Amino acid sequence: MTDHRLSRLFPTLDRRQLLAGAVGLSAASALPITAWAQGTTLNVRSYLEPEDYDPLDASGFLEEMLYGCIYRKLIQYVPGDEWAWQNDLAETIKQSSPTTITFTLKPGQMWSDGYGEITAEDVKFSMERHMVEENNSRIKPDLGPFTHVEVTDSHSGIIHMERPFAPIWSIALPYLAGTILCKRATEEAGGKITTAVPPTVSGPYRVSEHRLGERWVLERNPDYSGAAPDFDRVDIIAIVDESAAEIAKEAGDVDFTAIGPGSVQRLQENPPANSQLTLHPALSYTWVGLNLNNPKFEDIRVRQAIMHAIDVPSIMQAAYFDVAEPSTGIIAPGLIGHREKTLIPQQADFARARALLDEAGIDRLAIKIDVLNNVTATTSAQVMQAMMTNAGIDLEISVHESGSFWSLGVAADGERWRDLELTFKRFSMTPDPYYATAWFVTNQIGDWNWEQFSNEEFDRLHEEALSETDNEKRDAMYRRMQDLMEESGAYRFITHEVTANLYADTITPATRPDGLPMVQFFRRA
Amino acid sequence: MLTYTLQRVALALAIVFVAISALFTIMVTLPGDPTTVLLGPRATPEIRAEFRLQMGLDNPIYVQLADFWGRVLAGDLGTDYYRNRPVAVAVFSALPHTTALVFGAIFWSASLGIVLGAFSADNRNSLLDRVTGVLSVAFIAAPSFVVALYALLLFSVTLRWFPTIGAGEPGDIGSRLYHLILPSLAIGLAWVGYVARIVRASMLETLSESYIRTARAFGLPRRVVIYNYALRVAILPAVQVLGVGIGGMLSAAVFAEIVFSRPGIGSLIYDSVSGRNYPVVMGSMLVAIGFFVTCALIADLINAALDPRHRTKS
Repeated sequence: MTDHRLSRLFPTLDRRQLLAGAVGLSAASALPITAWAQGTTLNVRSYLEPEDYDPLDASGFLEEMLYGCIYRKLIQYVPGDEWAWQNDLAETIKQSSPTTITFTLKPGQMWSDGYGEITAEDVKFSMERHMVEENNSRIKPDLGPFTHVEVTDSHSGIIHMERPFAPIWSIALPYLAGTILCKRATEEAGGKITTAVPPTVSGPYRVSEHRLGERWVLERNPDYSGAAPDFDRVDIIAIVDESAAEIAKEAGDVDFTAIGPGSVQRLQENPPANSQLTLHPALSYTWVGLNLNNPKFEDIRVRQAIMHAIDVPSIMQAAYFDVAEPSTGIIAPGLIGHREKTLIPQQADFARARALLDEAGIDRLAIKIDVLNNVTATTSAQVMQAMMTNAGIDLEISVHESGSFWSLGVAADGERWRDLELTFKRFSMTPDPYYATAWFVTNQIGDWNWEQFSNEEFDRLHEEALSETDNEKRDAMYRRMQDLMEESGAYRFITHEVTANLYADTITPATRPDGLPMVQFFRRA
Repeated sequence: MLTYTLQRVALALAIVFVAISALFTIMVTLPGDPTTVLLGPRATPEIRAEFRLQMGLDNPIYVQLADFWGRVLAGDLGTDYYRNRPVAVAVFSALPHTTALVFGAIFWSASLGIVLGAFSADNRNSLLDRVTGVLSVAFIAAPSFVVALYALLLFSVTLRWFPTIGAGEPGDIGSRLYHLILPSLAIGLAWVGYVARIVRASMLETLSESYIRTARAFGLPRRVVIYNYALRVAILPAVQVLGVGIGGMLSAAVFAEIVFSRPGIGSLIYDSVSGRNYPVVMGSMLVAIGFFVTCALIADLINAALDPRHRTKS
């Protein structure tokens, strides 16, 4: 909530004022800059720039953070510690049959800049445009078997699906694909919002300015139909480097930022002045994967030996500074399908690993792991390298920059995917287990299933679980799927990580249970 | 002078062509499928195929290269398909920030370096000369990103004199300059050492010239001889070094722009290379290399204008 107002001393700059500027800068040595701070601006750090204002181009949470401020949805996540949703534009919304959802909009919810009231036609337009091939929507899969919206009157409609789709409540409606655009404004813009600022918005803020490569400047939306937000201005600032973001927070230039696990212990022991630190269990999942089709790993005993030789607690200690907990699978605690424990204990058993290699007739095993060039991944690999020698396994570490790494297992990028051995990967996640298992089905081999894991039961369960509306049955299905993954010997689950947020005590942030910010709900403390 | 200028311009154009063509070839042969990296996991195969078509990724490299140069000659840097905007918009909105950063760094390195170098030469072998020498080497040895981080910790976090992030309010020169001070100092500091050493050496050589002796013999004050006569000649090598050094400053700008979260060509290239966003990488590199070559060319021409021996040698 700070704003450097030194610039006000220099409305224009001629030679005389340049001299005044020099004097001003000298004076700065005596006055702390916070003397000019005023409390109406909220500065929130984002690790990259969101793409644009059109959900067709959205790819993840960065866009969600921006869209949450300027657009609305039928339902939204509830900030807090448990995954739940609340009505936003919808006055009523319910599952009227396994394949239909009936909704009624609140009356009098307005678009800004004279675009009138939000209607069911806007809902229909916003959802159906993702299904049009020519629109190339990147988030179309989030809508699953959605087919169309039937408008029953100006404020009511029925969402139709080809078959039951449980994630519609957890991923589709409250996340990116559920974002409602103004039909008239989008059509006037040529079918896609690519303008410098959106022609109309419905959320608590509107875009005042986009400074390319630096920040999005938002201001209060005077036409917002809900309670006025606390801040006159919100800056979403792109700060790539975590250390730089932490420094910016300490200097008061940022009010809210996520920080790396390496800083948590230090900040807990020496909390910075006027700041709060909170930890949230994250949803992402990190694991060591092993390519099942590599001839080196043909023998299941070799695969099991490798899994037994990876000591997860040591990785937690060295790479995650004991801030995160070891994971039991790909589905985080709090979500349907979370397993209570792994099949192979998280502590390494070098004697067991050695015995398995002996049974397989291997004296020393030389293998390679590909990792991303970040500190967490390389440290984890180094820990594995040091400890696996206890079992007679020599691990070579191959470090890649992100562009190279993320296409290692992709068939479209040459033949590298066939020769992969071990990889250390981290996938982001949404609050529905389907999003985790989707990458490990057979038809993902050559795309994101780098382990080349193929299991008929797994594929069948994945499809069935999508349409299963009984949460207990769904829970059992996803737990079984993770058992199948682990039984293959291709997966050693590491952690879901932790989201650590550092923020000024002058604000009350609102976050999802995984710690990601919902800026539209931020308040002044 | 005209022949010399034409020769230098032709050489500069050849350098730009060769450098960009080589970079383009390296870029497209790097492992890393752009459709996977750029579009993310949720993109369908149809979207990826459409994207490949739009970017011309299925064409042979020489066709892609020819297409690139064809577009450039027609004044089109291409389209950033990922963000749905012309590459020129991205590059030319970032360029002023990087230009300001580099010239800010030149300002620091020239102003501090020349003063330190002249002072050292004027006080040769004194304690202050030795301290200046140690400082110069320390400046040269300190990597820009380390200087940037420590500058942030000292001047922004502890003293709270300067902001840590951003490029300032658009249209407000005071705010822009204020946000430029620390990042440009972080880049320029290493060059302070170079310039100081070069000016000192050049100054000592100049001070032994006969025209300086003559000036002294005429009874001109010592300061006038040193700062009005000797220094004007002694700074010529520093001008040339700073011209060539712009390449190094552009590299350092990548770190400075990331650490200070400033927009600019450096951070644009960094993001685009990681994302395999070829059109933006090539557009940015073309402008960055063009900028570097132009600055080196200007430094050459200034030197040639100031010292005719350069033209003769060439």
